[in-house]
Amino acid sequence: MTDISAQTEPLGGLLTRDRIVKWAPVLVLVALVLLFPFFEFLEDLLEGKDHFYLLDSRFFSIRNAARIGIAAAPALMVAVGVTFIIIMGSIDLSMEGTISVCAVLFAFAFLGWGGTLASWAWLAIPTALLVGALLGFVNGLIHVRLKIPSFMASLAMGFVGTGFALVLTGGDRLRVEDELFRSLLTVRWLNFPIMCYVALAFLLLAWFIQSHTALGRNFYAVGGGEQLAQSSGLNVARVRVMGFTLAGIFFAVGALLAVGRIGIAETATGNNFMFVSITAVVVGGTALWGGIGGVWNTLVGVLIVNVINNGMVVIGLPSYVQDGVLGTLVILAVALSTNRKSVTFVK
Amino acid sequence: MSFIKNFIEQETVSRRNFLLASAYGISGAAAMRMFGPTPVQAATFADPTIAWSYRNRTNPYWNEIVSGGEAFVESLGKPKEFLTHLINEGSSEKSLADVKALLAKTNGELALAIDTNDAPNARPVVEACVEAGAYVSTLWNKTDDLHPWDFGDNYVSHMSWSDEGPAERTARILLDAIGGKGGVVHLGGIASNNPAIERLDGLKNALKDYPDVELLDAQPADWDTQKAAQIMASFITRYGDEITGVHCANDTIGYGVLEALRAEGMDIPIVTYDGNPQAVDLVAEGKILATVFTNPHWGGGITASLAYHAAVGHFKPSDEPHEHREFYGPTIFITPDDAREFKANYLDNVPTYDWQDFWGPSNGQIMYK
Repeated sequence: MTDISAQTEPLGGLLTRDRIVKWAPVLVLVALVLLFPFFEFLEDLLEGKDHFYLLDSRFFSIRNAARIGIAAAPALMVAVGVTFIIIMGSIDLSMEGTISVCAVLFAFAFLGWGGTLASWAWLAIPTALLVGALLGFVNGLIHVRLKIPSFMASLAMGFVGTGFALVLTGGDRLRVEDELFRSLLTVRWLNFPIMCYVALAFLLLAWFIQSHTALGRNFYAVGGGEQLAQSSGLNVARVRVMGFTLAGIFFAVGALLAVGRIGIAETATGNNFMFVSITAVVVGGTALWGGIGGVWNTLVGVLIVNVINNGMVVIGLPSYVQDGVLGTLVILAVALSTNRKSVTFVK
Repeated sequence: MSFIKNFIEQETVSRRNFLLASAYGISGAAAMRMFGPTPVQAATFADPTIAWSYRNRTNPYWNEIVSGGEAFVESLGKPKEFLTHLINEGSSEKSLADVKALLAKTNGELALAIDTNDAPNARPVVEACVEAGAYVSTLWNKTDDLHPWDFGDNYVSHMSWSDEGPAERTARILLDAIGGKGGVVHLGGIASNNPAIERLDGLKNALKDYPDVELLDAQPADWDTQKAAQIMASFITRYGDEITGVHCANDTIGYGVLEALRAEGMDIPIVTYDGNPQAVDLVAEGKILATVFTNPHWGGGITASLAYHAAVGHFKPSDEPHEHREFYGPTIFITPDDAREFKANYLDNVPTYDWQDFWGPSNGQIMYK
């Protein structure tokens, strides 16, 4: 894909449009990481305090990196799941419902089967992943078999999920207090809680699927040119259903980490994940029309979103400004990554 | 999984009732118009329909309100399905349309308890009820210029809560606990919500008497546990050990703050609001310093009861003084000393209320600024 547009710009050299577009998210992330400490530096300077740039920064510290990691880990899993779908040129908006259902069913199973990881209750974890896979599978089937656009099919499935989670809980919250399970948050290795490493492990798994399996290559094939893939003998419908199933599993992992983070499973567990994950994927440089991007882009995107969320509070800006900044960033990211010469019309 | 079955059955029944009501409402309204407007009269009814109009049941708070309404209906010897549910899903237009449809269906023989979703919507709802001869009691939302005593008997009562005073009192508990010096942060509700504004104002009022305590920061956490955890983590980055106390706008925010503190191995006093069961447990364990219970179960029941008893003629609203027509709901403070007793009395066993003791637990006439 990228090679084609590179040929249309013969300038070549170090600063091709493609290179800029490819590395822009990383540059934005680095700029943000350096920008917030600068505001802290300015603030202390105006108050007449000694402040050595970066070294004295509260934002630019390991402790705060861990805080950003905690905030980012569940969102990263959800965003990685939806990355596969966006690479295929579809969209999955069912994450909030899927997360709520997985979180609530996990909590019911976990509490019902013993309430601690040291008992058979550990089976609640694979159960939750299975539930996520099942919801994604149904989502994919509805999209492919009924030929409903993925946008509508998944949005509707998300509402069904939220409603189902509410029926299950009756509006109550389930508390998962097991010390062993909560060690996801409370136990730290090298300053970072375990949940960060779990997220990292699943990110590596996602990267493996993306680049070392036929399924991963097929995602790109479908996103890059569905007609071509179809006529080359690829079962596109099957790839799509498998993509949604895979996304469902990653949503379930996100749900488990979200429950591990606050120790509560409820209908509201899925709240806000749609905005955060779609924003992160797009800001990370994965193109909405498919075929371009990947899970590493998503990692950068999730970090950008969470660095902004954290940094804004650290420099003392109100949260409604954060939403505005993130919205602006989405428009910028899409505008930057869109090659307007090759797009003749926008739906 | 029988609770799922029950839930679905209840929802089906209320949905069906509502559909019938709406369908009847359209034809009924047309028929009424042919004979001209019905005369305004404070007639009473032998067996009026009892309805609760509210946002939805997904929120634990509204769930409690409506369960109070159902408990009241059951106290009349009727099944709880007798209560008609008008669910507005956060739309004032739907709220008003549902009320009008039900008024037409019941021919005005209605005792309505309602939160009109927003303040401006209270007037059209009340006027529609008064015109149809129905009896209405409102909760939470109404504009300051709308008063029950301006509508004779049909606008029975209005109940609301002022959160400023109770939030100020929990703030004082917090500020005393940190020895009257240091820094506090506030995590609020959705910035434009009235309770969120009042609860922050309560903290600010209390701070006037504590010159050595600084309000380091206040950010909206949108009543959301996960968002609260993230904002608290950012606060810890910005202020670190300067934070000696946390004032939360409600319990769900408090849970997020506790988890953020736990992740850092920090232990500083926090106060919350609402008195949810989990928060009361945490107060009993000493993890939360204080919370405030506003007894939504009683509020939901008594609002329906007031409308009903006026509608059947057990009391004449216009004979009652103003403080019986517009009043504040109850507030109960929960601190570690009394948390277990409170839980046993109010949460583990929902008390059986005397639904004709309309004003006993209430908190005085509503004052306007």
